[in-house]
Amino acid sequence: MPGGAGPRTAALHVHQLLSPYHHRSSLVHRFPAIGKVAGAVTLVFTVVLLPRTAWAAYAACGAALVLIAALSRIPARRLAKKLLLLEPFVLGVAALSLLQPGGTLVFLAMLAKSTLCLFSIVLLSSTTRFSHVLRVLWRLGVPPLLVTSLALMYRYLSLLVDEAARMHRARRSRTFSPGRVLAWRSSATVAAHLFVRSSERAERVYAAMCARGWRT
Amino acid sequence: MRPGVEDVNALEVRALRYRYPDGTAALQGVSLCVAEGERVALVGPNGAGKSTLLLHLNGLLPEHPSGVPAVHVFGTPVAEPHLPAIRAQVGLLFQDPDDQLFCPTVWEDVAFGPQQLGFREPGLSERVSRALAQVGLGGFEDRLPQHLSRGEKRRVCLAGVLACDARLLALDEPTSDLDPRGRRELKALLQSLPVAQIIATHDLELVVETCQRVIVLDGGAIVAEGPPAEVLSDEKRMLEHGLEKPHILRHRHPH
Amino acid sequence: MHIPDGFVDGKTALAAGALAAAGLGVALRNVRRAFPPRRVPLIGLAAAFVFAAQMLNFPVAGGTSGHLIGAVLAAVLLGPSAAVLVMGTVLILQCFMFADGGVTALGANIFNMALVAPGVGYAVFAVVRRIAGGSRRSLLLATAFASWCSTVAAAIACAGQLAVSGTVAWGVALPAMAGVHMLIGIGEAVTTTLVIAAVAGLRPELLRESAAPEGRPRYAELAAYGLLVALGLAVFVAPFASGWPDGLERVAAALGFQASAARAPLFAAPLPEYVVPGLGSAVSSIVIAGSVGTLLAFGLAYLLARLLTPPGDAGRRGPPHGGAPRASAA
Repeated sequence: MPGGAGPRTAALHVHQLLSPYHHRSSLVHRFPAIGKVAGAVTLVFTVVLLPRTAWAAYAACGAALVLIAALSRIPARRLAKKLLLLEPFVLGVAALSLLQPGGTLVFLAMLAKSTLCLFSIVLLSSTTRFSHVLRVLWRLGVPPLLVTSLALMYRYLSLLVDEAARMHRARRSRTFSPGRVLAWRSSATVAAHLFVRSSERAERVYAAMCARGWRT
Repeated sequence: MRPGVEDVNALEVRALRYRYPDGTAALQGVSLCVAEGERVALVGPNGAGKSTLLLHLNGLLPEHPSGVPAVHVFGTPVAEPHLPAIRAQVGLLFQDPDDQLFCPTVWEDVAFGPQQLGFREPGLSERVSRALAQVGLGGFEDRLPQHLSRGEKRRVCLAGVLACDARLLALDEPTSDLDPRGRRELKALLQSLPVAQIIATHDLELVVETCQRVIVLDGGAIVAEGPPAEVLSDEKRMLEHGLEKPHILRHRHPH
Repeated sequence: MHIPDGFVDGKTALAAGALAAAGLGVALRNVRRAFPPRRVPLIGLAAAFVFAAQMLNFPVAGGTSGHLIGAVLAAVLLGPSAAVLVMGTVLILQCFMFADGGVTALGANIFNMALVAPGVGYAVFAVVRRIAGGSRRSLLLATAFASWCSTVAAAIACAGQLAVSGTVAWGVALPAMAGVHMLIGIGEAVTTTLVIAAVAGLRPELLRESAAPEGRPRYAELAAYGLLVALGLAVFVAPFASGWPDGLERVAAALGFQASAARAPLFAAPLPEYVVPGLGSAVSSIVIAGSVGTLLAFGLAYLLARLLTPPGDAGRRGPPHGGAPRASAA
């Protein structure tokens, strides 16, 4: 996972990822969410199910995605940066495929497929509000408990990541010689406090839900 | 005041007692009432039981109700099977708006209460827009809670309860962490709402400026009650109960 | 361990997806039935917590740092079914919002990290706890060993999926994934145990709430997950268990790729490719290498538990039930 170089940069990363469509509007942004989700998922499945050497098909998909990206008016640099962030991991796993007979072909095919699919999802998440995705899931019959959990996770993610960064910073400012052992204990203590606070907050959220008429 | 019709208080609490799960007494026989349209403040040191009292107003406490309900809202006892209706009428605002703003977008959060009450489109969106306009946040429907300021979050929570046509607002420390502008805006908003309000607060200036009556709670019991100018001017008593005479009363000018 | 798109083929994605859906279904049913309503928001919040915890830094060496996965952490704190839901929620959100883990691979990722990891982890945890007693030290021992086992198990399942898809040869996938994760698992064990130890020190009653009301671990729940995990292993791993490595080497020889097979492995482990030098049979080599690794891990877990247990807590049961937390005072 594109892990953080520390909780503060991770927090900024999360904030950026959670609201990439801020202040943007375009044909693609306005397109109904269910269409975008269906489109992205269809493209991803198509690309994955294509035979390994279908290079022309890969190129066609790539062209379609570039067109949609252009229509979305998201700066190309922003999209490229996101893709590049995720590529190293893909390259790493793909490299393993080299170690087998006929490996180079597999490697290139893996790279092509993964990159196309990544691009697709990055576009989807950059132009679609997660709350709309949730509504699509709901309408598709995904169990309410799962949808609620996804919604709550999405809502409280930035809050918790901020809390973690704050607590980590507070601990760091009280540590004078951060040895590795101390750093591990410090992170663990932050995590523990974070869980306790999340647990308490969950109870208050439940009370708030009941206060507004929620019945199990 | 219509003659011949019994005046029902918005809120009536009679000898409310409550003990925490570990046995300590939190409320020791508290009795108070709030008339329709009245604004009452609840002040007292930390640990006095203000939040605990507010949690009784819509049945969140006691966890295991027994005996005669001590709290009545517009004449209805706060107990099953009236709780759903009570919770629509009593708009409880928690101390931390992040606890209450649990939906992914502002629209969904304000719509939550009405949805539980059974409202659906097209009336639902109308309700939400009206409530948001009432709190001065028209157009905020698609905003994400994590991007709102503290004051805006508070106002969204307020919109959420107004969307249910709440007739009694119970607010727990509404101005506690607001900047001066947020505080001014919230104060103006509260003054503009005609519904009955009971406000637990440390903000004694707010009490003097907006409330008709103040109740001082200490150690789970009411120790003073009356108009703010009177009660809060009693410096000795205020200090006794962990409070102080607000500045606004120290320098009262005749005009 | 998030598999990107394109690394699992259609049939594997389908099989894994079916197993993942079944597992989530079981978890949903269990949670609806047995989880108290007031703890339901905790699932969503715990998912946010696991994600935030995954971002914490655990420096390893020379600028690199390890990160928590959190499956066993969730299982110990919330119980196995809630943990399945929590991990599933995390993976779904990561997939769609952060492109972490492919859409076609979502089934496989959920199977590995939201079913195998918490399922195997909690089973090991429950068994160790049962054997070692109810003390703080046994809690930490169980947590540490379970975390390690969950990581390795998930890695094995992942290797199987990659191999069945033809992406990575089994002979490479297993040592690469399982071997590396035997080391990563140590990090997971240490971090998870440190966090559990800290929570136990802060709020022991929170840990008790995850246990069944009778105080016994919920074997019935685990049976369903065990079945799904076994099915998955049968589909993804069993095809290779008997035929490896003879089959691979025969193919390599036939196609003239003997030379590339002899290339030095990516990761020089003391037991390269699970063949103990001097032993002829491949199967017994795997068994020995695996057993040695597991015993070592258990030993390390025991040491860790001893280190982290406050003096005097070794044989004592946890503090008596302190009651629900007070309503906030104001």
